[in-house]
Amino acid sequence: MTTDFQLPAIDYQAISPLLILFGVACLGVLVEAFVPRPARRRVQLGMALVGVLAALGAVVLLAGTNVVTAGGSVTVDGPALFMQGALLAFGVVALLLIGERRVEPGGAFVAQPAITVGSEADQRQASAPGATEVFPLAMFSLGGMALFIAASDLLTMFIALELLSLPLYLMCALARRHRLISQEAAVKYFLLGAYASGFFLFGVVLAYGYAGSVDLAAIHAAVDTSQMNPALLYAALALIVMGLLFKTAAAPFHVWAPDVYQGAPTPITAFMAACTKVAAFGALLRVTYVAFERLAWDWLPVIGVIAVLTMLVGAVLAVTQTDLKRLLAYSSIANAGFVLVGVLAVGRTGASSAMFYLVAYGFAVLGAFAVISLVRDREGETTHLSRWAGLGRRSPLVAGVFTVVMLALAGIPLTGGFTAKFAVFSAALEVGEGWLVIAGVVSSVIIAFPYLRVVVMMWLSEPSESTATMVAPGLLTGTALGIGALAVVGLGVVPGPVLDLAHDAALFLR
Amino acid sequence: MSVLLAQGVEVTAGEAWTFWLLAPIAVIGALGMVLARNAVHSALWLVLTMLALGVFYVVQSAPFLGLVQVVVYTGAIMMLFLFVLMLVGRDAADSLIETLRGQRAAAVLVGGGLAALLATGTYRWLEGTPAAGLAEANAEHGGNTEGLANLLFSRWVLGFELTGALLIVAALGALMLTHIVREPGERLSQPEQMRARFAPGNYPAPKPGPGVFATSSSNTTPAKLPDGTASPRSISPILPIRELTAAEAADKETER
Repeated sequence: MTTDFQLPAIDYQAISPLLILFGVACLGVLVEAFVPRPARRRVQLGMALVGVLAALGAVVLLAGTNVVTAGGSVTVDGPALFMQGALLAFGVVALLLIGERRVEPGGAFVAQPAITVGSEADQRQASAPGATEVFPLAMFSLGGMALFIAASDLLTMFIALELLSLPLYLMCALARRHRLISQEAAVKYFLLGAYASGFFLFGVVLAYGYAGSVDLAAIHAAVDTSQMNPALLYAALALIVMGLLFKTAAAPFHVWAPDVYQGAPTPITAFMAACTKVAAFGALLRVTYVAFERLAWDWLPVIGVIAVLTMLVGAVLAVTQTDLKRLLAYSSIANAGFVLVGVLAVGRTGASSAMFYLVAYGFAVLGAFAVISLVRDREGETTHLSRWAGLGRRSPLVAGVFTVVMLALAGIPLTGGFTAKFAVFSAALEVGEGWLVIAGVVSSVIIAFPYLRVVVMMWLSEPSESTATMVAPGLLTGTALGIGALAVVGLGVVPGPVLDLAHDAALFLR
Repeated sequence: MSVLLAQGVEVTAGEAWTFWLLAPIAVIGALGMVLARNAVHSALWLVLTMLALGVFYVVQSAPFLGLVQVVVYTGAIMMLFLFVLMLVGRDAADSLIETLRGQRAAAVLVGGGLAALLATGTYRWLEGTPAAGLAEANAEHGGNTEGLANLLFSRWVLGFELTGALLIVAALGALMLTHIVREPGERLSQPEQMRARFAPGNYPAPKPGPGVFATSSSNTTPAKLPDGTASPRSISPILPIRELTAAEAADKETER
């Protein structure tokens, strides 16, 4: 053996959030193997919550760290820590929704996904306790997302992309009701996601061809020094950004979102809408700000067109939806466009406004899906708009929470949505991207219509026979709802602390 | 037929010949994989492409990668995949109904366009680039495999470990989507199975084999009982009973 082998210096404290998340995920797999079935859910849920909170604590302790570690695979800097913190906070709320079993007997997940849909055995498992493997899967996914935000080279970023996606594909297929739609959603997401990963990987190869390295910082340096044809770099940028925009569900890479959001179990839809958005935009910010900043004048118009298209497509198609989950899917597409406006205001203000927007949007969308999981009839969740008419009269409290969340998504003042939209648009104006702001305001107006229509239907219609019932939220969903509503209002009334935090954190370490 | 590039490593005639012989085969395999209707044929086409790629790696002085490509990818993963296909049943051919009109034509046009753009693009952008070769990188740690190991366990150690996490997820997912837990009592014990076998109404002896006649010895030809009627027990229930043509059924005059 040669003697020149040296382990890279690993700052274990800096990557401790990742270690905690992956450690708990692996422990969760062992729990599946060794803990008796009836006790598994409690153990898994407790362990996952403790793990995510511990990781959140580790992120808070790391505040102010600026370090590249693990041989140059991980960058722990302000944006990484801020977005990891947001991600883990959303993770806690999503885990509460995933762990809920009071609303539906057995929970939102099927007991044995391998059993053929509609068979006799499938009917027998109709109210059997749901699969607990979903907890380690969610933890692996969270770990992958936390790494995705902090990856400082494209290869680690690719591994993190796979690590966050694979559990998501699996969890999409686990719905207890409407299993065929759920499985179809999983297959669609898997096929299109694999395709997008392929684009990303091809982009990484071209970037390596240009820069001779996959390090984001090395690519940044190579923009000036490389002797290669710059077309390689442009192609690499296009393909990498395509792969990332697929995860953020930006048009024209958005087509998977409505079907997957509708088919996936509602807690997983909430998890995807809040957490995947943060992770994907974290990576997009890092790639565009760290590696390709010197090409900003080249990618600004292109991604600008994508942002306008995303906002308009999401807003216009949201108007035509009659299913609430699909409506929120199109709304998530439109919101991806709004975050892109922040990303395009290249600079500290742009990054901080995009990060703030992600926080505000994440809490609102978690609250929205928490309410959706409560509105049911004998068949399970009822997501058709007409069934929601008059719900406000029947259960004013939860309908009130939903109203607040919808107003936040519409961007009404005194909610987090307004502050976030204001931050993003003013950041774009500051750098002179007025056309993005015009498109943003127009689509905000369009998309306010479907949100307000739901609110009007809930409060101003008389309850009829077809009105669904609102199940009383259990402790877990209740807590999730409370956190969502409080955060939405808090970010609207006193946005200062989080805005300052985002602004202080918004400097990327190269 | 040797190409000497400026400042680069010489591409030997053997390497060039190997490339130009195997490259079309690799592309044909890839096209065959996409175009074949039958999943087993697709898998076999892919094996062809993978083998060709394995040879490319070896020729480009990356023997470890080449061997892994052949042994692990082609030998283990693809063969396992074939086994699964065979077990699941290989009759599941693709449905060729277009749900969106004109989708296939548009997909071929756009996909082919992108492929052509990227292929011609990479060719043009990399034209005249000197080949660096692996000699220098391989010499650093005393060999190709040693150099690879050094990279995996130093610079890329985090990615290497996380690939393990990816494998855990894959195993967990495969188990979830395929494994059905048997209820206690669902599977019959050996004495119960034995009693059921000899219970009245069941036929404990082996079933008769299919008929072997001068006219036909196919698996689909039922054996004849002593009274001349066909025994349905002698052929597998999933096989259609073979209908004899008039010529086959006619007396062959062998009885005289």
